[in-house]
Order: sequence, then structure tokens, then C-alpha cells
Amino acid sequence: MNQRETVLTFLVAGLIAAIVCMVGYAVPVLDALIGCGILVFITLLGIWLAKIIPGKLPMVFWVSILAILSSAPISPVADFVKEYTTKVDFLAICTVVLSYAGLTIGKDIVMFKKMSWRIIVVALAVYTGTFICASFIAEIMLHLEGII
Amino acid sequence: MKVGFTLDVLKNWKIHVIALILAIVSELIGVKKIPVGPGVLLFLPMLYAMVLGGIISWPKLKMIKAGEMKHATAVLSLLTLILVTKLGVIIGPSLSKVAEAGFALSIQEVGHFLGTVVLGLPIAIALGLGRESVGATFSIDREPNIAIIAEKYGLDSAEGRGVMAIYICGTVFGAIWIGLIAGFLAAMHVFHPYALAMGSGVGSGSMMAAATGAIATVFPDQKEEILMYAGASNLLTTIVGIYFCLFVSLPITNYLYKRLSPILSPNRLKKGGVSQ
Repeated sequence: MNQRETVLTFLVAGLIAAIVCMVGYAVPVLDALIGCGILVFITLLGIWLAKIIPGKLPMVFWVSILAILSSAPISPVADFVKEYTTKVDFLAICTVVLSYAGLTIGKDIVMFKKMSWRIIVVALAVYTGTFICASFIAEIMLHLEGII
Repeated sequence: MKVGFTLDVLKNWKIHVIALILAIVSELIGVKKIPVGPGVLLFLPMLYAMVLGGIISWPKLKMIKAGEMKHATAVLSLLTLILVTKLGVIIGPSLSKVAEAGFALSIQEVGHFLGTVVLGLPIAIALGLGRESVGATFSIDREPNIAIIAEKYGLDSAEGRGVMAIYICGTVFGAIWIGLIAGFLAAMHVFHPYALAMGSGVGSGSMMAAATGAIATVFPDQKEEILMYAGASNLLTTIVGIYFCLFVSLPITNYLYKRLSPILSPNRLKKGGVSQ
């Protein structure tokens, strides 16, 4: 995807997220727009950093670093970032992302219908395994560390 | 696996309009809870959005063209980054709190990486899958993991078929399934919400979203902490995952496959069959 398309995609998606915040979570128009605007801006900046900084670290890395640093206590814009991004509910973004995710299912459904029930059972085991094993270990570790 | 961006955002305006309508309709339906046994089946708007999207994209309905779905896939891989950003700005202000749990966060990652093998591999072998079980269960089988198998075995191999099968299952029902079990477990109060939050960071954007959303909905008072731990865990899973899966998970899965096959599926080994 070229840069112009990436930016345009995020502007469209950011706008959709802002509308969902307004309609579904009763966030004032301006707050929703600024909040989503900040999230989109940080994301785009992170993608750009991943491209220009050598080392081939994944985009997720740079996007996370920027998001964390911009809102950390040391950041001069922390209050601004925090004030507006808290108004954008995580669940609102999830709904938007999973709307797109749903729209991709069709391309795999033909292959999916050909699969045996065995592989579906294995898939359920794989997802359940990763989630429950990690939760189980986290539970023990958090107790040992006295956090919970 | 990078999806080529052949068409313009504007050319595919229909996808974006449908996504907007889906999201709004889903939000208006709202959260529904159905008590089942000791837990609760929690239905979040994002799950409706995904299911409705799946129905609309059903090839027989011919509402969305294959090219448009390809566009949606490319958009999706970018959009999950907004989730990452949102979690990042939650982590930022409480960075010291995340650091305090740093040890727990690091160790639980072993659960993420080996949990797929521990539960998945014996079941796959017992069900009669051959070398497919290695590709299928060595990881959660999202894009970076496919790349590992593609490089080592090629996607036409048994291992390749295994990884692709689970990948497709993940696209079709991964988020729905993990969202439901996360909500169910959260309502059962077996695990602390923070532990479940860390468990949610499975390394796939939509699955992480579904699990975290469910847990945060069951424990609204601890929402910030839940998102914070889930975000930190997901970040670790994603970044460390590539290396861990390649250098640790895959060799372990191969070793266990050799050890477990004669016990769990003796007939298959005699025949030497590897195909599904």
C-alpha cells in the first residue's frame, strides 16, 4: 500500500471510529474527532518510523513506542493526548475493526467449508490453549509478585 | 503475509460505508448477556459486527466482490494498529505500574507460546492429523507464523496445509470463540481479571480485541488496568513471538510430535501417512 493510500485509509477509518463514538457512546462530536485524530496521527507516525528507521522492527513496535511515549508522564503533550484519547472507547474501535474483519470472512469461507471437523476442533484447542495457559501462568505470577 | 493493495480506498468506498453501517447497527443493539451454567455468554457489539460482516461477505450473496474483500483485508491489517495505539496511550500514563508487573508479564508469555502446543498437539495427533499437526499447533498461526512455516517447509507441504487451515479458522471464528470463552471465564471468577487480561494478549489484533473487550465488560471498574495489561501482553507476544516461535516453539513441537505420534496415533505412523 502506498503512503497516500495508507493515510487516506486511516482518515476514513478514523472518521468511522469517531462516528461510532458519537452514536454508540454519546461522545461530543469535537471530542470524538480530536480523540480519533490523535490515535490516527500516532499510528501513521509509527508506520512511517517503521519504514525509515533501519533494523526492520515491526510496525507494531514503533506504533506502540510512540503511543506509550506520547502519553507517558515525561511527554509534554501527555495531558492533551490522555484527555482526548480516553474519550474514544476501546470497544468502539474494536467494533469498527471487527466490522472490517467480518467483511474479509467471505474470501476464506469456500476453503473453510471444505475443512474437516477435525481441523476445527484443533483450531478451538489452539486458541483456547494459548489464552488459558497464559492466563493460568499470569494468575500464579501475579500472586507470587503480590500484585493480586 | 502482505496483501497487495491493488485498488484505491475510494474505489472501494462500498466496503467503508458497509463497515460504518455494521458498526453503528451493532453498537445500537448493545451488549447482551445469557447466563449459561457457571458463566455467562457475553455478546458484544464487535461480535455482531463480525458475524454480520461475514454474512454480507458470503460469496453466494454476491454483495461484495472478491477484490473488495481483498481491500478489506489490507485495511484490516492496518486498522489493528489503531487498537495498538489506543492500548499504548493507556499504558503510557501508568508505565511504572506495567513495569511492576513486568516479571509476571514476561513469564506468562511462555503460556501464550506453548499453550497452543500443549492443548492443540495431542488433540491434533489423536484426531489423526499427520505432519499437519505441527504447522497447525506450533503457534496461533497468524501472518508472521505463516511466514515461518512457508520459509521452512513451503506452504504446499503438510505443515503448510496445517498452518493455513488454522489461519483460515482464525479468520472465520477465532475472535468469536476467544471472545466467548474470555467472557465466560471472566464471569466465572476462576481467574483474576488482570490474569485474564494478560492471557488476552494472544498476538492477533481481532482475537485480542474480542477477549479484552469481554473481560473489560464483565469488570467495568477495572477496565483501565485490564486494557493496560492486555495491551502490554499483546505487544510482548507480537514482538517476541516471531523469534520464540521460530527458535523454541517449532523445534519443541517437532520433538513432541515425534514422541507423541507413536503413543496417540500408532496406526498412522505404520502407514506412514501424512496427508489429511
